[in-house]
Amino acid sequence: MTIDRRAGHLASGAGMAVLMSVATVAEAHHSFAMYDTKQTYVMTGIVTRVDPNPNHLQIFLAPLNEARDQVIKDEKGEPVVWAIEMDGASIEARNGVSVNGFPRGTIMSVGMHPLRNGFPGGGRGESGLFKCPADTPPAPGKHCDSVAGSTSHGKGVLPTPTGSAPDVPVAGR
Amino acid sequence: MQGAKWRMGLAAIGCLVVAAHGAAQPSVGRGARDPLQPTVIVGSEGKGMFAGAGIPPGNMPIFAARDGAVPSGVDPLPIDIFTTKDFYKDRERWTDPRYYRCNSAVGLEQIWGAYEVPLIGDDPPRSAAWGFCDRDYPREEIVTPYEFRTAKEHYAALLAETRAKGGPTIHTQATLPDWNGRYLRARAKTASWYFGAILQIPTYLSLLTPEYQKRFVQQMYHYSGSNAAQWPGSYCWPEGFMRRLSQYGGGTVSMIMTPDLVLDMRNAAKTLITQIHIGREFNEEGVVPRLGPDVPQWFGETIGFWDGEALITWTSNIQGWISHGGFEFSNKLQSIEIYTPRKDASGTLVGLKHEIVLYDDEALVDPVRIVHPMEKQRDLNEGDPFAVMECVPQSFPVDGHTTPMSPGQTVEYRVPDIYGRPWAEIWERYHEEGMERPREQTGRFGL
Repeated sequence: MTIDRRAGHLASGAGMAVLMSVATVAEAHHSFAMYDTKQTYVMTGIVTRVDPNPNHLQIFLAPLNEARDQVIKDEKGEPVVWAIEMDGASIEARNGVSVNGFPRGTIMSVGMHPLRNGFPGGGRGESGLFKCPADTPPAPGKHCDSVAGSTSHGKGVLPTPTGSAPDVPVAGR
Repeated sequence: MQGAKWRMGLAAIGCLVVAAHGAAQPSVGRGARDPLQPTVIVGSEGKGMFAGAGIPPGNMPIFAARDGAVPSGVDPLPIDIFTTKDFYKDRERWTDPRYYRCNSAVGLEQIWGAYEVPLIGDDPPRSAAWGFCDRDYPREEIVTPYEFRTAKEHYAALLAETRAKGGPTIHTQATLPDWNGRYLRARAKTASWYFGAILQIPTYLSLLTPEYQKRFVQQMYHYSGSNAAQWPGSYCWPEGFMRRLSQYGGGTVSMIMTPDLVLDMRNAAKTLITQIHIGREFNEEGVVPRLGPDVPQWFGETIGFWDGEALITWTSNIQGWISHGGFEFSNKLQSIEIYTPRKDASGTLVGLKHEIVLYDDEALVDPVRIVHPMEKQRDLNEGDPFAVMECVPQSFPVDGHTTPMSPGQTVEYRVPDIYGRPWAEIWERYHEEGMERPREQTGRFGL
């Protein structure tokens, strides 16, 4: 299972403040009220696509299982893909998060506040983001910040998660 | 191969052209002889040579045969793009013009009536029209006449050439060539190979790498066999870099001149703007040269310099995409473009010549060249203002077909993977059932 279920917290007041600042940078492309900032997940997975949207870059991430050797799949055998929304593409690029820096197959870990409606997506908020070295997943149950040679992109550390996420979200499918 | 022999014969007998215009210029990388100008198109073409909107009075379609007939002297293939059940399996036939019934790319694109006059016949797609198998355009008139294999080399050579003459020219607002104005680009179907009407599809394919050949034939099949065009503009998707060079996009050009920034502004379903940053240099540390952050841009980023009255530009950091009817291009696409003035005998500016050399070693086996003459229409402050185009979606893909919808209607909407060839995603989901499409291998993590 990829979703880290350690108890903890990232957000509430402080997280919301950061999200508001992000919204300002991105010129309020949309409200951030869609995200439940009281919930925090940490995911390690495989990048399927980077969408370099100028308002909010998105990384589409297929979470890895607990053993870190296969992506999680739904009952049809299709990978479960989460959409993780970040700052605008130009801001993220300055942190090295880009189409060229995160090609399909990149292994990475990130924290996120999930969507309130249960769809497989979330906002990065102030979470750290770590990229594993190429083709080098972390040990079972671990994240990229534990792997020698991993790189940090942008803000801080991986947060302590507050809750668990479903392996296969029901909404949006 | 049979197709190759067929094509070689055509090149010898079928290229009807008139003499090229434009004198050769002694430069390493610009001003070569203009490409040959054909007098005819390959066909078929429901609206004849008419290039505007609507159907002209007395419209005369162009075709070699229609309604199920076969042109005299042509031996049709047992299976072609109109009758195949799996075009992927026909790869050996892709190089034979008869596989497309000798239609050009735009001939296939228009055959179900995309431009208002269908030639698909009464028993479609079996009854689709034929173009002229004895017409084609020489490949050597399409590929670059210059020796360079990369845009970087090309730009560096032009810059060195300019420096050897004491340049680049540093213009002030007072000395800057006054090209401010609105221009109309040549729009005739014969004006450019990139308009897709003057060359056979195998000649087009000869410009492309195998993967991009497959993508091009896929596009052609979905104009002809499945009638499921997915033009980006129809959904208000991005138009992409090459749209500014297509026949029905970017035809009217507004040039706005300042000493440090020149704007080339055009319209299609959305506004297409090229910002030419004079005197700047690219950051070449990344995957492709760029000016700003490591984010591909829909129209790339452009630097340039002046050599007297010639404006020489280099565009890079382009987001790969498609312009319908043309080849798909990758994020590696880069262009070298040269704008030069065209003047009458009195020295008055009457237009511009826009020479473009395209480099994309992922999509193209050789760099290719496009030359567009532009006629000055009026000054910037004359006539209607330039309309900044937003695109509000009116059509949506319904069961794989572009469908205009009315307010209040509901439609099941599948979110496209916009950076993953969304047009092809629709084709493959709805119109390629039972076909054996080459698949990507599953990676080590089961992705």
